[in-house]
Amino acid sequence: MMGELIFRNLFHRPLRTMIGVLAIAVEVALVVLVVGLTSGILTETAKRVEGIGADIMVQSPSAQMILAFSGSPMPIKIADRLTEMKYVQAVSPVFFQFNSGGGIDLVYGIDRDSFRGVSGGFVFLSGKDMEGPDDLLVDDLAAQAKHVKVGDTYSLLNHDWHVAGIVEHGKGARLFVPILTLQDLGGAHDKASVFLVKCTRPEHTEDVMNQIQSLLPNYKIRPLKDYLSLMTSTNIPGLNAFVNAMIALAVCIGLLVIFLTMYTTVIERTRDIGVLKSLGANSPFIVLAVLYESAALCLGGIFAGVGLSYLARACFLKGFPTLSILITPEWILRAGIIALVGAILGASYPAWMASRKDAVEALTFD
Amino acid sequence: MTIAATIPSAQFAGILPAKWQAKKNVEPILKTENLWKLYHAGKVEVPALRGVNFSVQPGESVAVMGPSGCGKSTLLYVIGGLASASRGTVLVDGNDLAAMSDAERTKLRRSKIGFVFQRFNLLPAMTAKGNIAIAQYIHGDGFDPHRFEVVTKLLGLEGRLNHKPSEMSGGEQQRVAIARAIINEPKILLADEPTGNLDTKNSDVVLEMLRQLNKELGQTIVMITHNPEAVTYFDRVVHMRDGVIVDGIPAD
Repeated sequence: MMGELIFRNLFHRPLRTMIGVLAIAVEVALVVLVVGLTSGILTETAKRVEGIGADIMVQSPSAQMILAFSGSPMPIKIADRLTEMKYVQAVSPVFFQFNSGGGIDLVYGIDRDSFRGVSGGFVFLSGKDMEGPDDLLVDDLAAQAKHVKVGDTYSLLNHDWHVAGIVEHGKGARLFVPILTLQDLGGAHDKASVFLVKCTRPEHTEDVMNQIQSLLPNYKIRPLKDYLSLMTSTNIPGLNAFVNAMIALAVCIGLLVIFLTMYTTVIERTRDIGVLKSLGANSPFIVLAVLYESAALCLGGIFAGVGLSYLARACFLKGFPTLSILITPEWILRAGIIALVGAILGASYPAWMASRKDAVEALTFD
Repeated sequence: MTIAATIPSAQFAGILPAKWQAKKNVEPILKTENLWKLYHAGKVEVPALRGVNFSVQPGESVAVMGPSGCGKSTLLYVIGGLASASRGTVLVDGNDLAAMSDAERTKLRRSKIGFVFQRFNLLPAMTAKGNIAIAQYIHGDGFDPHRFEVVTKLLGLEGRLNHKPSEMSGGEQQRVAIARAIINEPKILLADEPTGNLDTKNSDVVLEMLRQLNKELGQTIVMITHNPEAVTYFDRVVHMRDGVIVDGIPAD
């Protein structure tokens, strides 16, 4: 009976109910998408770095986990010292440039041969490998997003590049250019942002890392097989705070909308509350009726929010194929619980207000 | 000293019909003694009831008449436990409402009192069936299909149960309200001008139904009314003026 009362009340004012559901849906979608976008980008980036095929990554002492944030280039001669080490099969210096014109791109300046030695080479979907100093390789997702094809001229870092080939994604970056040209553009001759090291066998990784540690004591030496697990929001400066702020904002929106919805509902139903009291409904009954209604509204919003999240992801990915939005059951559940708690909190005062209404005044309310 | 305190209690001298004369020794189902109800308008106490003494025997039907503002509705709310008494006693089936907390009065109201209001006061989102069934749900015994069928048939509501109040006439709405009020077999049915919003034809139907409930089911009824014709349906009429019972003196 309580269920019928709640659902009939919800359907009695469909517009208000829809607005409430939509607000909760936006709250849930906001949480799911913000978390999904950050974790999706991190995971996808980490997978791409792992996908290079190297065993070890060497960075300068002040380098960050996110490669795009890494300044502090190192002397490229270090590569020679690393190559001489026992169990090292290949070393490839990579110079990064972060391009923000016409989108956000991390550009890898690579030495074609040594990069092939570390990664096993690109899988070409069209075109061929870089030969000239202005040649550019683009991965398939970036090519789709930027609408480029082999033979096109593409402007990047205030420089016109010739698109030499389209390669399969998953080799670190989405854009690859010759390291010498990128060093020239960045004014960093003979510098590398990172050294990728391939061991003769994966089980030699630790031995090689120890050797590098002895040679370069303060440098950051990471095994790439653990890169994915290290790539969390806690390792990215300010990211956790941003995510938490967005979640808090979403919760505030949901809480305030539910508060306002239930507050106006209780005022509108003052006479109904008087009737329920005249029938012998006690305060807990009235409180529960309001809280259950807000919970039902919230559940509708959660389902709509999950749908909205998937819809938004599909739209984003259609417009921006290089984006990665990771929607996980864990975060859907978390977003649902956050929304539900917010809704209950938002409805608490209106529920209490309803239970405290004077029965006689409520019955004579116009 | 307040204005209220200066006014002596009115004495109730009800004239019981013949059938209640024989029940004089039966404990009244409802009894008020020196019942006062004061409202506060700022620092001023405004007495709505000023020492009401009033009793109703089990199975009796009583109409309370009087001019607007004389305290009829207040009396109904206080004896129905919706409002607390400021002074005096209100005994409902032996329970003193004046000594009860709000929660205790709510519990008593749930089990012993049914209300019918002038403006029907049905839940607008619920169907007629839902409006009646929710009273059973709040009562705590769950939905009793047999009782439900008997009551709805008695009130001629069988064909209207799936309609919402907005889809029903005033008379139908009031019949649903009566069904809701009696579905839990209350000891007392309190009706606050139940025909006030109805035309003559529907008023007669509702009054006849109340009469039948009283005569055939023995339902105790206390009804407030302005309608002089309504009183012919009741065993006894009491008149109120200025917050006191003034029986024997025409109120209007």
